[in-house]
Amino acid sequence: MSGLLVPLQADATTVLVQIVTISALYALVALGFTLIFGVGGVLNLAHGANITIGAFAAFVVSSQWGLGGVAGLLAAFVVTGVLSGVYYLGLIKRIQDEPIMVMIITLVTAVAVEEVIRFIYGSQPKVLPLVDGRFIIGGSTVTSATLVAFVLSALLIAALFAFVNYTRQGKALLATSMTRKGAALVGIEADRINLLVWVAAGALAGVAGVFLGATQGASYAMGRGPLVLSFTIVVLGGIGSIRGSVLGAFIVGTLEILTVQYIDSSLTGLTPLLVLVAVLLLRPEGLFGRELVEA
Amino acid sequence: MSEDTASERVADDQSGRSLPSIPGRYVAGVVGLLVLAAMPVLADMEIGLGVPGVFVFTVDQLFLLDLTAALYFGMFAMSWDTVSGYTGQISFGHGLFFAVGGYTSALLNLGFGIDPLLSIPVGIVLAAVAGILIGVPALRLRGPYLSLVTLVAPLILLQLFIFRSDVFGGELGLRDPEPFLGFGVSQASTVFYIALALFVLIMALLLLVTRSDAGRVFTAIREDEDAVASVGLNPAKFKIFAFVLSAAVGGLAGAMYVHTPIGGPTPSELFSTTVNVEVIIAAVLGGMGTIVGAAIGGIFVGLVPILLDEVGVVIPVLGVPVGEIDFLLFAVITLFLLFVLPGGILRSVLNAGSRVRGWRRGDEVATDGGRPERVVTRVARRWYDGLREEGGDDDE
Repeated sequence: MSGLLVPLQADATTVLVQIVTISALYALVALGFTLIFGVGGVLNLAHGANITIGAFAAFVVSSQWGLGGVAGLLAAFVVTGVLSGVYYLGLIKRIQDEPIMVMIITLVTAVAVEEVIRFIYGSQPKVLPLVDGRFIIGGSTVTSATLVAFVLSALLIAALFAFVNYTRQGKALLATSMTRKGAALVGIEADRINLLVWVAAGALAGVAGVFLGATQGASYAMGRGPLVLSFTIVVLGGIGSIRGSVLGAFIVGTLEILTVQYIDSSLTGLTPLLVLVAVLLLRPEGLFGRELVEA
Repeated sequence: MSEDTASERVADDQSGRSLPSIPGRYVAGVVGLLVLAAMPVLADMEIGLGVPGVFVFTVDQLFLLDLTAALYFGMFAMSWDTVSGYTGQISFGHGLFFAVGGYTSALLNLGFGIDPLLSIPVGIVLAAVAGILIGVPALRLRGPYLSLVTLVAPLILLQLFIFRSDVFGGELGLRDPEPFLGFGVSQASTVFYIALALFVLIMALLLLVTRSDAGRVFTAIREDEDAVASVGLNPAKFKIFAFVLSAAVGGLAGAMYVHTPIGGPTPSELFSTTVNVEVIIAAVLGGMGTIVGAAIGGIFVGLVPILLDEVGVVIPVLGVPVGEIDFLLFAVITLFLLFVLPGGILRSVLNAGSRVRGWRRGDEVATDGGRPERVVTRVARRWYDGLREEGGDDDE
């Protein structure tokens, strides 16, 4: 979790750039996680695997097939989206009313995916070239990869906002997440909405995986850290809340970067976890969350 | 327990989760334990089992030690089952208790020279305290929220261990502490018998607890917590009890494990993600909420990788030795079994057993006069039904 981070005494602009970039990536991951939970009531512990799959899909297409970074990005978007949808239809749909089974099966799936990737590509992190070059912004150097990561994630988040708030499908999605029975009564097909959400969540996480892989190397276990962080983010923002997740991502991203820069880089993973426990104990419904009624 | 009226009412509920009482399963259980107990005798004779060239497997001292480790893992799986299988409070970080027990005992032994006889109980007590710490959030949090806390707890511990590597040895762990009662590698059968005795003891204890009135309340909490509260029982009390009991047993298993010649106090052995997942796989595979199933699953998960390594079979198409991808195989087998036998191995075997007996007696049960559905047919039908539901109405 620390490849993006330059250890200690970076100047304020660099720190700010890092915060904004990493937060945007975390938001991409957390949004999918929270949508799946909010709409389907399903805790998808295999969400981290999408990150890994995205990164390796990009690695295969851009490096091994030599088609370049953009093709890799597209491949990650499509492959993880499709896989996630197929996973929902093939496995989760049958058991989505049994939360315990869902948690166990998604957890086991995540492990299986990690093992497959480790077996095929080894445990050494892979270099994932996206775009070359660097910029100088406000006196600090920013790599192009960082910039692309930020711009694209911001665009995707904005697109998701627009989709949810201004399209019929999006409104149906919101309705389902608020009350499944109510949505069913007005003729919204929950299963179709669920499929949509799983595909979107997979695609977003896949893209985030490419950027995470490009900035800190792609390895078989790269999905674990972001998955745990998305718990924190989602719980902090309120499970099922989109703006809560974005805000949560920025809080967690800021905390992480500040911890690394000004306290101790070995504490990176600890701060968000402590935040998570504190939030769960003090305000389990999060900043913008609703009381968990049906789980 | 203070609420006696309620417990009596539950007491004559025969169905619940308990299995149909077949004497056959007790016979099978005793035979299983006897086979385990006979292992050291086999080792003295250096018996090889299997087909030469394809599957050769020798019972020897090393295998006894592996079996010992598997027994401790079985105990650990039973402790997971006590809290997660019965009360439904799914714990994703059960390794925390395993680790607290193991590390406490190892640190006391290595740092202060305290004998394992004394350091292990301290490890158990500290693990129980950790059980209270995890149990308290369980009073306020439900379902997925609680699972998140349990998932995060060992991660926090791991971060602390890495941060204070000087004390805890970081990711590499500590060196091995003294063996329990001084039994080392050369006395493998003694080490094994100690483990087997503890295993039987813990299984008896957990079976007693889960079959008692408290155990019935555990199950009731899993099914409907509000209903439990509505009859005047305090679910919080029972949940904490389940967590503390489970943590203490897990701590015992962890502490004993680090003092065997085969186990050591390292994060990868005690509380890595793998351990946390493996214990769930073990319990679910064996049969959640059965204790015995979890024990069988634990031994299975503990032994199968070792057997796979010994077998040395190369998977045909991929050309890979089985031993290299054992954990992946596990995950795939688990996914498959969860789908085919949702109740776990134990329940399926018991059900199959009672069906066979019914057959022999001639009182076939299928209500439509046909034969009972075969497993393959059932799975195929479930998939087909699942596909057909696509266009159907919402069931809510």
